[in-house]
Amino acid sequence: MAATTTVNKVQEVREVTRLERIGAHSHVRGLGLNDDLEPRQVSQGMVGQAPARRAAGVILEMIKEGKIAGRGVLIAGQPGTGKTAIAMGMSQAMSRDAPFQAMAGSEIFSLEMSKTEALTQAFRKSIGVRIKEETEMIEGEVVEVSVERPATGTGAKIGKLTLKTTDMETIFDLGQKMIEQITKEKIQAGDIITIDKATGKISKLGRSFTRARDYDATDAQTRFVQCPEGELQKRKEVVHTVTLHEIDVINSRTQGFLALFSGDTGEIKSEVREQINSKVSEWREEGKAEIIPGVLFIDEVHMLDIECFSFLNRLLESDMAPVVVMATNRGITKIRGTNYSSPHGIPIDLLDRLLIIATKPYSEKETKQILQIRCEEEDVEMEEQALAVLTRIGMETSLRYAIQLITAASLVCRKRKGVEVSVEDIKKVYSLFIDESRSTTFLHEYQEEFMFSELAAAGDATSMET
Amino acid sequence: MSKQQSKWVEMLKAARKTALVQDGKRKIHFTLADGTELCEEYDVKTNDLLVRKWRRKSTLGASKPWEVEIGEPDVTAHMAALTLGSQHLMESNTNPICVRLDTRRAFQWRIRNLPYPLKTYEITVDSDEKNIVVRTTNKKYFKKINIPDMERRELKLDSEDMNIAHANNTLIIQYQKPKCILDDQVLLLAEFKKLKTGKDGDMECNQS
Repeated sequence: MAATTTVNKVQEVREVTRLERIGAHSHVRGLGLNDDLEPRQVSQGMVGQAPARRAAGVILEMIKEGKIAGRGVLIAGQPGTGKTAIAMGMSQAMSRDAPFQAMAGSEIFSLEMSKTEALTQAFRKSIGVRIKEETEMIEGEVVEVSVERPATGTGAKIGKLTLKTTDMETIFDLGQKMIEQITKEKIQAGDIITIDKATGKISKLGRSFTRARDYDATDAQTRFVQCPEGELQKRKEVVHTVTLHEIDVINSRTQGFLALFSGDTGEIKSEVREQINSKVSEWREEGKAEIIPGVLFIDEVHMLDIECFSFLNRLLESDMAPVVVMATNRGITKIRGTNYSSPHGIPIDLLDRLLIIATKPYSEKETKQILQIRCEEEDVEMEEQALAVLTRIGMETSLRYAIQLITAASLVCRKRKGVEVSVEDIKKVYSLFIDESRSTTFLHEYQEEFMFSELAAAGDATSMET
Repeated sequence: MSKQQSKWVEMLKAARKTALVQDGKRKIHFTLADGTELCEEYDVKTNDLLVRKWRRKSTLGASKPWEVEIGEPDVTAHMAALTLGSQHLMESNTNPICVRLDTRRAFQWRIRNLPYPLKTYEITVDSDEKNIVVRTTNKKYFKKINIPDMERRELKLDSEDMNIAHANNTLIIQYQKPKCILDDQVLLLAEFKKLKTGKDGDMECNQS
């Protein structure tokens, strides 16, 4: 027994010190607007870009009211001006039920699926249906939990859980996942819990009234609940949100033994989709279901080709379309798949349907604030002077390069056993890693010494263009 | 009586049926209008109903696992999970199990793994007269048993028709089938006997 407790302790410690990975936009927690949709200068990880954020906030408000379904928004701006950050902010600020589906424009070019199918699936993944479903729940008071390791020391743990209501008692055998959940949720005798039979999710409702005197002091948040009556297993109606795509997949699975021969990834027949559309609108009329249009975010939208754009035109017109938010960093350029040029590489007819939000390059002050936020996010302490130098670098090269230097500089700092990143550390990484413009000048100087340089020099201009 | 058939008989008559005789059992598979599947097995000699199980669709259209109404539940999945170790939780096999095994004249339930003496049990008909309620004075077991057959006919339960027995760790509850249900049985049986049944086993394969 003592051995098992020490093992448990070691695991716990490991969990606490687990390194968290940090994404490029993990500091964004919302759009940073106040109740009147006025942007605050620095809030929820967002800095500057006030007009763009305000515009995004207005659109978000329209989404919440369900007014804007089936329309598009384009966020356009130079590289590194926070287009993706705004989209992430929108997703964070949306209600938890509304689906937010993010994809990159190049994602749809897959060999396994046609472009239109991929687009349709993305559209349907961003429309939620809130519906009531009956599930079997187990609800009772924990009488006893016991988790034992097998005598051999290796192999799966064995768990037993005894639950009771006022009228009956049942013993359950626990599987591996359930044991993990029970240890994580710290379930103990006297707790009242519910278990969703289909998913196996445990939730704690509180402690039993009969156990109210077990401890002299209890947490202020401890709730005392009456022990349930009757049978342990109950049928309950649970409201949950699924996306249209999930319903498609459920209904398109080949039945019976034929399922063995057909892969799961294939395309979904349009008849199935039509059937589901009519079923869903039937549910909606009967009041059984509610449709929650979500947001589909397509990053790098200029990577889509002309076929996709015309298909998007059609999709946006359907009565169950989500809000489509696109982002691009291109100016007037060729539409992919044609020889025509168009603003943002998007055909005029589609652009006409979009609301366009522009992002502007950051000012020096804003750059500094963003770098500061990133330092906090990555747990890096930096001297005031070093931050000024880094801001300078960020203004002259790019914000992304400056952000990358934060981590590198903090590593250099740790190597010399420093606590705060100093100007020296920044200088060192600046010399170690060159930025894009320095790399270009370097290439211009030493072009001849690289491989295939004479070929490129000899080759004509047309090959360069492709 | 025969003119005005019950909804249940009408529903089964209208369903798409496939029948098969195998191991001395007549197995019939029904597909109902809403996509629900129903499986029944009758003893060929005694014409007793041995198994009735349902497969219903969930709201979203996924098919759920088979639900056994009459007969021994399929324990292969349960046993596999017990021996191989499962991810989820399941009822331990020391718990009481309630199985419905009908006779021709009565509905019958056998609740196994109940070691307590007969006087422990309080078996009553629920106040809304739809369920039989099994209670134990030691608060170890509780179950509401509903009889789908009676519900389909919209009949109320009467505690007069019920009797219980206890032996070999098993509690046996019987409820006398009312006349109209017995009539339905005869009617359906005649219908099923008319069905074309496929033969199991090696198919005759006539050359030319």
